[in-house]
Amino acid sequence: MSLINREFRRKKDLLWLLTRKEITLKYKRTVLGILWSLLNPLLFAIVLVIAFKIFMRIQMENYTFFLLSALFPWNWFSASVTMSTGTLIGNVTLIKKIHFPRHFLVLSTILAQLVNLIFALPIIIGFSYFYGKGPGMNWVLTIPILIVIQFFVTTGICLSISLVNAYFRDMEYIIGVAVTMLFWMTPIIYPLNIVPEPYRIYLILNPLTYLITAWRDIFMSNSIDWGSIGISFGSSLIFLVLGVFVFKRFGKRLDEVI
Amino acid sequence: MNSIVEIKDVWKKFPMRRERPGFKEFVVNLPKFLRSSPNSHFWALKGISFKVKQGDCLGIIGKNGSGKTTLLSLILGTIYPTEGEIKVSQKLTPLLELGSGFHPDLTGRENILINGVLLGLIKEEVLERMEEIIAFSEIGEFMDMPVRTYSSGMYLRLAFSVAIHTAPELLLIDEILSVGDEAFQKKSKEALLNLIHRGVTTIFVSHQMSAVREICNRAIWLDDGKIRAEGEPEKVVEEYLRCSG
Repeated sequence: MSLINREFRRKKDLLWLLTRKEITLKYKRTVLGILWSLLNPLLFAIVLVIAFKIFMRIQMENYTFFLLSALFPWNWFSASVTMSTGTLIGNVTLIKKIHFPRHFLVLSTILAQLVNLIFALPIIIGFSYFYGKGPGMNWVLTIPILIVIQFFVTTGICLSISLVNAYFRDMEYIIGVAVTMLFWMTPIIYPLNIVPEPYRIYLILNPLTYLITAWRDIFMSNSIDWGSIGISFGSSLIFLVLGVFVFKRFGKRLDEVI
Repeated sequence: MNSIVEIKDVWKKFPMRRERPGFKEFVVNLPKFLRSSPNSHFWALKGISFKVKQGDCLGIIGKNGSGKTTLLSLILGTIYPTEGEIKVSQKLTPLLELGSGFHPDLTGRENILINGVLLGLIKEEVLERMEEIIAFSEIGEFMDMPVRTYSSGMYLRLAFSVAIHTAPELLLIDEILSVGDEAFQKKSKEALLNLIHRGVTTIFVSHQMSAVREICNRAIWLDDGKIRAEGEPEKVVEEYLRCSG
């Protein structure tokens, strides 16, 4: 029993240390350090607000809040996917010299990007006080659930692409385009209902639509959309299983290609 | 005495990867690419079998490219055999060689912590042994500097120090004794002998025949992915020197 316990503690320590390593390394030798975690998404948000609210004059109440409530969760996803393409390639020395569970590298990359979302929560809480219904008990229940669901989807996708990228380095460029495409094909900067009916089906088929909708519902109107959460959870499990399968199936020959 | 490493008819194949052609060449030479067989490969190990018993110190010798490091990596578990079976029934250890898995931008202390946990300790145990590891490595005030500022000798001393302080049961060493200055070579050899005398099983790859003679109780001569000779270190080394001299 104590052996199992010890192994569990070691795995926990390992995940924590690798995540901390990711975070430290990301901002090492920068002046502003971890502040970039907050600044980066914020500056991106300002650009979008200027483009859509001021230049294109989107007619919507609280457009800034509407945008941020989806943009911050999305950023966690897109940063994880983008970073994970280089995870296995970037840790060649560890992979070749030490025997340890390699998927921990991918998990720690994703967890390290979660910091941005957590840093952004105070901003969302602020907006919620001024423009929404204010944070409530629903938040405490839903946010952890949504984080877990999003962690599952992201893990599934990142496991696959980090491995595929070791075999075909083209993946990195494909992912760059794919993430941008997915950004515009998910209702982040616009609501689902302004999409013309014949095209809406494509968004409805996108599992991220439900996840983003669930995030927005809790942040903006303090309501839990169990339907969206259910669909997100189901699809996240599919992605997770597929990712684990790809990683296990092709991971054995990793040493031959990196 | 039960054997803790058991290697049964292991073969390991690496794909021979020519530089992938650019897209333009690919299109221009398409017929040629379709004809050529894409599966050229290289057998690094060709049917290796041996056992290592508890407390053994096995020396592996052979010229460059004979498969020594591939064999160690297989035992370590970072690569998988193409065919055959490998059983290792003891706590795994690092592959000790120049430039172990340290990150250049992290400090010595941060690297010790991560490596210690990667090598099988829990965080608290690493912290408990931290001072001991630092003292052995003789790195002193550089401990809180990024590892990229270290000299190669310091780098190696740190790697060695972490590895022997993680309570290994099976030690895999790839050409480590030939680096570092005289004093540290002597010290690391002593530390190693100490571990061996305490019953730590060791597999030791080296080009230093004197070290193999001195430390090992068995030796294997690898030649072109096959075992050419096996047995008493004296005899194996002598045969190896005669054939390659």
